[in-house]
Amino acid sequence: MTPEEKKLSNEESLQLITSMINKVKTSYHDRGTGCLLWGSAVSIAAFVTYVQVQFSIDIGFDIWLIVLAAIIPQIVISIKENREKKFKSHDDVALDAVWITYAITIFGLVAYNNIIPYATEALNKQDGWVMTKHYLDAARKDEVIHPFVLSSTSVFILIYAFPTLITGVIKKFTPMIAGAVITYLLFIASCFTAFKYDMLLSGFAAIVCWLIPGFILRYRYRKQKEQHV
Amino acid sequence: MFKELDPILHSQLRLAVMSLLISVKEAEFTFIKEKTNATAGNLSVQVQKLKEAGYIEVIKEFKDNYPNTTCKITTQGIHAFEEYVKALQQYLNVGSGN
Repeated sequence: MTPEEKKLSNEESLQLITSMINKVKTSYHDRGTGCLLWGSAVSIAAFVTYVQVQFSIDIGFDIWLIVLAAIIPQIVISIKENREKKFKSHDDVALDAVWITYAITIFGLVAYNNIIPYATEALNKQDGWVMTKHYLDAARKDEVIHPFVLSSTSVFILIYAFPTLITGVIKKFTPMIAGAVITYLLFIASCFTAFKYDMLLSGFAAIVCWLIPGFILRYRYRKQKEQHV
Repeated sequence: MFKELDPILHSQLRLAVMSLLISVKEAEFTFIKEKTNATAGNLSVQVQKLKEAGYIEVIKEFKDNYPNTTCKITTQGIHAFEEYVKALQQYLNVGSGN
């Protein structure tokens, strides 16, 4: 009987099953690159927006374009990691679906924020009225204003929490669960604050949801790599 | 009445392969080889037996211009593995006097 045909005792069978399942569990460690990338991009964009509003500075371009630009390295990273990874877990498949849904939702919300004001203005004009700003003390005349989406940053903060919480729960990764819970609290706070403070809260949300978990993942990955050298 | 242990699964390397594949959606041949410490030849034979039993699916394709084999457990394979574990538990419970 060849070794590969070796019959096992019942205890040996059970030990073999357990050891193989454990080998899969410890086979792959996320490097946290995606988390670090998005955590940095979103927090930088949010804090720069806050500084621009707070100090009336104009940097000359839309800082949120860096978030859009981050998609390119993200695609490269994803392709590289998928090539290196020799197996695909059920968790990976579920989480890919969650993050793709999240990306579509964010793009949808950006489109919503850009389309709704113009569409509302056009519809209002068809009905023969415009939106105006009315000063309660009547010190100034009413001003015609363009419609805008109210406190949409709060909605972004709310959406940041959902894939983070799902990832944290599925991967049993406490820093992400904690990050998501803090982000829900930041969302509540943002409902009561002005736009510039919403930007600060948004930056903090990106830090707790992705940047800190990203650093922790990177640290764990390096430690794991050192152990295997 | 004790269930008989599935002879296809009750062998060291085949059980190791099935235990790996039950935990993942799919795995490359090289990954299975690395985790089971088997030789490519031995592993190929056992993978073929599991495939013939309908327990796994073997997908051969090219990755970065190199041939790449991926294995995936089938629904029949999942069922067989579950039955095997149930039967094993039955034996172990009796063995431990429960």
